[in-house]
Amino acid sequence: MSSDQPFITDESQVVTETRDARMTGQGDRFNSRLREAFGSSPFILTKFDKFLNWCRGSSMFMLQFGIACCSIEMMHTYAVKHDLDRFGSGVPRASPRQADVMIVPGTIVSKFAPRMKRVYDQMPEPKFVVGMGSCTISGGPFQEGYNVIKGAEEVIPIDIHVPGCPPRPEALVYGVVKLQERVANGEAAPVTVKPYELEEFADLERDELVDKLADQIDDDELVMRYNFADSP
Amino acid sequence: MSLERPDTTDDAAIERTPDELEALLGDLVVKRDDHLNAPGFVIRPDTVQETLSILKEQAGYDHLSVVSAQEYENRYESIYHLKKFDDPTQEVSVVVPADKDDPVSESAEPVFRTADWHEREAYDLIGVEYDDHPDLRRILLPETWQGHPLSMDYDKDRPQIATLPEHANPLQEHHKDDESDTMFLNIGPHHPATHGVLHLKTTLDGEQVVDVEPDIGYLHRSEEQMAQSGTYRHQIMPYPDRWDYISAGLLNEWAYARAAEDLADIEVPEYAQVIRTMGAEMCRIAAHMLALATFALDVNGDFTATFMYAINDRERVQDLLEDLTGQRLMFNYFRLGGVVWDLPEPREEFFSKTRDFLDQLPESVEEYHNLVTSNEIFQMRTIDTGILPPEVAKDYGATGPVARGSGVDYDLRRDDPYGYYDELDWDVVTEDGCDNFSRLLVRMREVEESAKIIEQCVDLLEDWPEEERNIQANVPRTLRPDDDAEIYRAVEGAKGELGIYIRSDGTDKPARFKIRSPCFSNLQTLPEMANGEYIPDVIAALGSLDIVLGEVDR
Amino acid sequence: MGTAPAQLFPEFLVETFGLPGVLGEVVAALIAAAVVGNIVLAFTGVAGPWAKRKITAAFTDRIAVNRVGPFGLLIIPASAVQLLAKELIVPEGVDRPAWDIAPVILPASALLGFSVIPMGRLGPINFHLADPEVGFALVFAFASIASVSLVMAGYASNNKYSLLGGLRAVAQNLAYEIPLIVTAMSVVLFAGTLQMSGIVSAQTTTLVTIAGFDIPAWYAFVNPFAFVLFLTANMAEIGRNPFDIPEAPTEIVAGYQTEYSSAYFVLFYLGEFVHIFLGGAILAVTFLGGASGPGPESIGFIWFVVKIWGFFLFTQWARSALPRVRIDQLIEIGWKGMLVLSFANLVLTAVIVGVIA
Repeated sequence: MSSDQPFITDESQVVTETRDARMTGQGDRFNSRLREAFGSSPFILTKFDKFLNWCRGSSMFMLQFGIACCSIEMMHTYAVKHDLDRFGSGVPRASPRQADVMIVPGTIVSKFAPRMKRVYDQMPEPKFVVGMGSCTISGGPFQEGYNVIKGAEEVIPIDIHVPGCPPRPEALVYGVVKLQERVANGEAAPVTVKPYELEEFADLERDELVDKLADQIDDDELVMRYNFADSP
Repeated sequence: MSLERPDTTDDAAIERTPDELEALLGDLVVKRDDHLNAPGFVIRPDTVQETLSILKEQAGYDHLSVVSAQEYENRYESIYHLKKFDDPTQEVSVVVPADKDDPVSESAEPVFRTADWHEREAYDLIGVEYDDHPDLRRILLPETWQGHPLSMDYDKDRPQIATLPEHANPLQEHHKDDESDTMFLNIGPHHPATHGVLHLKTTLDGEQVVDVEPDIGYLHRSEEQMAQSGTYRHQIMPYPDRWDYISAGLLNEWAYARAAEDLADIEVPEYAQVIRTMGAEMCRIAAHMLALATFALDVNGDFTATFMYAINDRERVQDLLEDLTGQRLMFNYFRLGGVVWDLPEPREEFFSKTRDFLDQLPESVEEYHNLVTSNEIFQMRTIDTGILPPEVAKDYGATGPVARGSGVDYDLRRDDPYGYYDELDWDVVTEDGCDNFSRLLVRMREVEESAKIIEQCVDLLEDWPEEERNIQANVPRTLRPDDDAEIYRAVEGAKGELGIYIRSDGTDKPARFKIRSPCFSNLQTLPEMANGEYIPDVIAALGSLDIVLGEVDR
Repeated sequence: MGTAPAQLFPEFLVETFGLPGVLGEVVAALIAAAVVGNIVLAFTGVAGPWAKRKITAAFTDRIAVNRVGPFGLLIIPASAVQLLAKELIVPEGVDRPAWDIAPVILPASALLGFSVIPMGRLGPINFHLADPEVGFALVFAFASIASVSLVMAGYASNNKYSLLGGLRAVAQNLAYEIPLIVTAMSVVLFAGTLQMSGIVSAQTTTLVTIAGFDIPAWYAFVNPFAFVLFLTANMAEIGRNPFDIPEAPTEIVAGYQTEYSSAYFVLFYLGEFVHIFLGGAILAVTFLGGASGPGPESIGFIWFVVKIWGFFLFTQWARSALPRVRIDQLIEIGWKGMLVLSFANLVLTAVIVGVIA
């Protein structure tokens, strides 16, 4: 599974790294083994990288992934009038193993976040995420909800945010094309860890809540702990 | 079930006055607590089954719409809203108070099967416990959740833990025991056919389904809490659009508008009613088109022609709705006492666009019949699969096209008229097949009926005298309904009876806002339809139920 | 049938370049095989990422890829490289090496099938690699190795959806292989030979002449009933709609290929398309007169290509329009319907051929 890389759990670092990467552009999402072997970037590898980036930007397989209201507009984006396939990114694959891009179309709630993280982990690198709608930015109209995760970025890294409630299909098309542009230029946010992580129950810090649940949950069961008080 | 349904005697059909009902129930009634929509009888928490079975069998109240629970300063309370399928204007509320420190009341599940999920939800969100309930677990929130979020002492800043149980899609040794050859399969929450984030815990015997258990709550967005923290006048109306988000926005808004208007005693101008009726039926067409599209997706596999054509027809309706309301999906067009603005100018252009749409609709419907319903393979797949007998449908509180596909003639637009429906000429569609095919057919025929309604509305609106175009009644800037008024009102949403229960407490925000979601009740019937069938039939049955997770989970 | 068999592709190479001895024959055979293989792979390359999308789009009133290169054609290298350059995930608990072999077997089996297919002439070259006397039996044998691959993939993936997909694939192949071959037998009865070139040349005679047009004696015209049976069984054999149940995206995610990513997924994808083309090639040879068509014999290859692309178009049309049957219905159609009909067809053909001969 692709979640083998060590996690950075320091939250302050997360914010700056993501932000810096956004500003400078170049991410290390598509590290090629060749480049590592050579150390520096000889001319031929630079060209090769460019070609690869062009390929990745030109052809994208989407994950068939519907959550809430936005998925209706997402369907419209795939369908006749807006036809996302024109841009080479309109093939929805049902299995995450075969997808490059995950469009997160809706509100993430406590019960779903671990599953979404799992689906994201199942996708092969390089993978990209388009956050569709206000809910994936901040929780949107449901931000105050007791059960709502305040934005998908709390759980998985997001490359492009498309605002709106829901965004029009044109907006989503724009978002996807923007993502293609960024990928073709080799820009992407690095994979950094978000405050809510899937971890084994035994690894949680002991506190009142954990003690209370200790007899319900096995030590090696994967859990996600939400600190709602610290959420934006 | 322990209680057999006896032959309904003629007594059941008679409409009884509240006093007669009180006499029928006799000692069971502790006191009266009438709601705005129905007489309410307060009973003791240990006599729920007795009371409900008397009302069901002797007085003919065979439809348990919803169980709404709430917490007061000094007690918990569960309200059972009962109706008759034959005449939904005959309503009665059974109010069951429970002790504040030990909120236990008897379960209604043995009398009404539908109470199963409704009581689980009440337990989950409010914390009322139900004795004699077959399976009292959390339904919407993760099972490891702490506290009951709609109870009074809930602190939403507390940390919570959600688990990712590995009941394992990979084959594991412990799944193979000596006695059974069954296999456990998780369908969802991320699966192409679950229409969002539904999780079906399926037990398979080869390709056959032995047992299927829907696991919901993956889109529980705290809609009731959101509504309870908004003011009546403006802050609640945007949320209904997001319950049933398949373009059924106006139908949902109407549910809230109807309940709140009756609560605050607001009269809606006739002109606004006609616009509402027209808009709502456009939404119904859009919603049924998506139901057709996704059903075709489930049965055909892949994004095929039917799917694309149906989405294209939706685009056309959405264009009209966008002209009318300014948005494609989340309309926020209704206001208490009317609608937010009049038809778009120039009116003629809007009317001619609408007429163009209505003119080409029969052609599209014909095409779907050619492509889908008259296809032999399609018929082979859908006829006589996913059988839902009418008695079972009623017992589960199924409504809308699901009930009408089982021959239950129940449509609130006709039976409990609101808006402008009773002035117009249209028919309620029912089919007797009780199978996946009938449910699809009902939706397709309803599209034609909706088109008829829209056409009549357009005619009316076109000839409406200019000086009488009153789009909103006079509504006070801040609405403060009377203290402790309670009301349950329902409209015919795209999926069935969409009801709202509101209790006011004298402030400008509702003290309890409960949504009766048709999909929630409809989805409960899935095991009845799917058990013993093949995997593809489960998928088809699920598609024919046409659930929207936003409305199931709220 | 009296004509001497045409010169095969490897023989042509030996003659043209004067390659000596056994080594020369081997080299010529390898070169010829590489050329034919690449032609087929080129077809699938065009079909998979581009033609399939364009055709589906045409059926659903869309445009599909048009931004990358002319008519979006550059999507072909882009998709291929993009998919190959992705991370290859090996899930925990997969049964290796079966898991790794399965994606190789599928395209390999289909490509092997093309070794005996007479693909017609283009100029001096006759695209036909080998013409053994049992070629017709061989091609079916090669084609049905594919189901082994699907079962391996389904079983080795350690995923229940894959397992279901694998099991469905076996059930489906068993149910349709027999009618397919029995129907093909009726053609053999007509032609009196199992040799591919013989079957093709048996169809070159004129059946009837209507208004100056010669209708050739293609077996599709001679025995349309067998043609329809064969076409249906062929669709099931290659697992296309309405018989795409081993994959069935809305039911069992992606069936046997659910767990495959990157290069392995490409191999599966490729294998499927090669199989469609092999299905088309078998159909063309058996019922549509192979490479025959109007014009000189030297452009036969073009007619052959048209025929197999026509079959591809047909599969895509079925995919866009037809619902998928259920697994039990599929088995029922196979064993109770197709099998009986195909035997009836065989007996009838045998009687007719016996009476005429």
